[in-house]
Amino acid sequence: MAHVTGVRDRTSRGWRNAPASPFVARIGWGLARSASIVLLLAGWEILARSGTFTPFVLPALTSVLERILADAMSGDLFLGASATLYRALTGFLIAAVGGISLGMAMTRSIGIRWFFDPIISVGFPMPKIAFLPVVILWLGLYDVSKISMVAFEAIFPVVTATIVGIKGVDREIIWSARNMGASNRELLCQIMLPAAFPQIMTGLQVALPISLIVAIVTEMLMGGNGLGGGMMSASRFADSPGVFAGIVEIAAIGYCLIKGMSMLRRRMLLWHQEALEPSTV
Amino acid sequence: MSASAQIVVKDVSHDYRPPVGRVVRALEDVSLSIREREFIALLGPSGCGKSTLLYLIGGFLRIENGRICVDGRAVTAPGPDRGVVFQHFALFPWKTVKGNVLYGLERGKLPRAERETRAQAFIDLVGLTGFEDSYPSQLSGGMKQRTAIARTLAFDPQILLMDEPFGALDAQTRSLMQTELLDIWQKTRKTVIFVTHDVQEAVYLAERVAVMTARPGRIKTIVDTAFDKNDPQIYRARTFVDKVDEIWGLVREEAIKAQGTHAR
Amino acid sequence: MRRTGLRYLPLLLLAIAWELLARLELISSSALPPLSHVVVAWVDLMRSGELVSNGYASIYRAMTGLGLSVLVGSLLGIFMAWWRPLNAFLSPLVEIFYPMPKSALIPVTVIWLGFGDGSKILLIFLGCMLPVTIGAFNGARSSEQALVWSARSMGASRLRMLWDVVLPSALPELLNGIRTALALSFILLVSSELIVARSGFGYLIGFLGADGAYEPMFAVVLTVAFLGFAADRAFQAFMNWMLRWRT
Repeated sequence: MAHVTGVRDRTSRGWRNAPASPFVARIGWGLARSASIVLLLAGWEILARSGTFTPFVLPALTSVLERILADAMSGDLFLGASATLYRALTGFLIAAVGGISLGMAMTRSIGIRWFFDPIISVGFPMPKIAFLPVVILWLGLYDVSKISMVAFEAIFPVVTATIVGIKGVDREIIWSARNMGASNRELLCQIMLPAAFPQIMTGLQVALPISLIVAIVTEMLMGGNGLGGGMMSASRFADSPGVFAGIVEIAAIGYCLIKGMSMLRRRMLLWHQEALEPSTV
Repeated sequence: MSASAQIVVKDVSHDYRPPVGRVVRALEDVSLSIREREFIALLGPSGCGKSTLLYLIGGFLRIENGRICVDGRAVTAPGPDRGVVFQHFALFPWKTVKGNVLYGLERGKLPRAERETRAQAFIDLVGLTGFEDSYPSQLSGGMKQRTAIARTLAFDPQILLMDEPFGALDAQTRSLMQTELLDIWQKTRKTVIFVTHDVQEAVYLAERVAVMTARPGRIKTIVDTAFDKNDPQIYRARTFVDKVDEIWGLVREEAIKAQGTHAR
Repeated sequence: MRRTGLRYLPLLLLAIAWELLARLELISSSALPPLSHVVVAWVDLMRSGELVSNGYASIYRAMTGLGLSVLVGSLLGIFMAWWRPLNAFLSPLVEIFYPMPKSALIPVTVIWLGFGDGSKILLIFLGCMLPVTIGAFNGARSSEQALVWSARSMGASRLRMLWDVVLPSALPELLNGIRTALALSFILLVSSELIVARSGFGYLIGFLGADGAYEPMFAVVLTVAFLGFAADRAFQAFMNWMLRWRT
């Protein structure tokens, strides 16, 4: 199950001799696996109630859950989440489409490659988020600038992965397709893209969490509804249950999105033996 | 015979438990005695458990049924009295040839300078002079296996456990390495347990060949194969060819059986 | 030499285009000050010491947070691979917290540790730890059985093996994880400083921007971008050196 994190489960290649695992042992492991979460939650509640910390520093788990429930009932949660998701996913989609197209163009035309190659290789490791004030200056405070910022950060891994994927396509596959009379366009659409797809998917899986991170930062800075903006205003009013509720909500959304992405990958890459998961941000 | 036996395997059975799927019996009631300084080959179809037996003697797998003694002491863990050479070399890729050879000496009591000379001596012995500072990724397959053999010989185990050591090499290198191994064996006189599925290799190298059955692995028979190792024409000798044929027949039977069980 | 020149020519062209666009007033100079003015502003910032003092604050935060996350993350990852109960206990937590958009932690670290260095260091530590942990875990997990057995037969103890075999085997993936964490640390640093801080690059950018001083603002933005790039290249060189045995 669940390989999003890249924590691959016990495999036969483990470097220790795994002892035999009869039924009882398996239950033991199951308990151990859930123990950490139970302990974390219980520890949180007990620590918060014990008075070691003020409720401002650590509100009780129950009060945070109450807040989430209240947000959900009033519809605020839905509004905030949909605003954040809209920004993150629109930016991500633009980055995906733009990145794949640019990557393909760069492998096909020397001129385009010459122009963009240094920009991509210098731009990729840069913290693009530093350009945020510039983006605000140019595009204002609303959705356009938030989405642009997301796309700007997320496009680099997609371009790089597309290029790596297409360049890595087996020479013999290309030759045999040519041999069977594939045209240039057919070669690109029917051979190169599918063959490069695992790599491209890996790039997308790196870009998705970046999109979420950036969407939330832009909301924190520029306001506007959305979960990040909500957390920021909660923290301004010293409303720490609100802040913690925001974290839990954002974590849940991040978890679902990224899980969904890796399920999608497994569904789409059935033909690919080792559907290697990336280790993402 | 038992008086001079160095390694005694008695009634050993072993189950392989894959992470998923059902338990497979890999070895069943295997008994075997190996004399000191003997060169014995374990021969059998793939999956017959010959490598498992080697790993049990090495102390890498837990002995669940039966017992294995080396020099009268029961095997419980790996130790420097039993050196291993793996099919895929198992060199530390982050160490140079010299670093790899030195590794086994570092836990010994030799002073540093002596370790260096000893390592160099074994690098020379396997013909890798000049490649001391190369990393394994820069070497050919044959050179890697030479490094692995030098590494194992350097810390002077009494017993060499070799797990298809030449299986990953091309045909020419393989035959060169065989001759070299015999040469080294005659010089150093260690006990060698040599796992292979190549009949000719087994007959050529070993003094005795233990033919194993298809899964679950048992010892089918032990055949004496002591030929004159120094005769370069031994491949063509009538007796040699007959011996290869005889053993080939035994292995073939098992290989067919193994395929039958797979099909079922 | 000429080849690298040709390779990076597009960047020079972009810079010239920037200068021309601004000079010819095709874009208003308040939205895009000419590059030459930005360079002058950069020199002024360096002279006044503002860039250096804020840069020092930022780099101190990033390095401390990242250093802590590398230390804790790699130990955690290797021990998770080494000792199965620890893995069973911790991997659900890793799995839940790993996909969390780390920027969500910004307000909480502020609640816990205030506006100063502590909150940024904590944020970077928390945000960067899991990529390192997972790199170390996957790397250590993948160490070959035969290598471990070889070392054992040459007399290495179990603990000794951790250092001799497991750590070097884990190194390629561990270093990759650290590289991811390095990029992440810059993002988190700048974001958190933009949002709440009294010093640092992000603070300086926000402060200058709010003041309408766009020329120095662009200078700081470019400086941060360059530092991020340079840090990555330097780490890449370090990685290649560490992994020189891989050819």
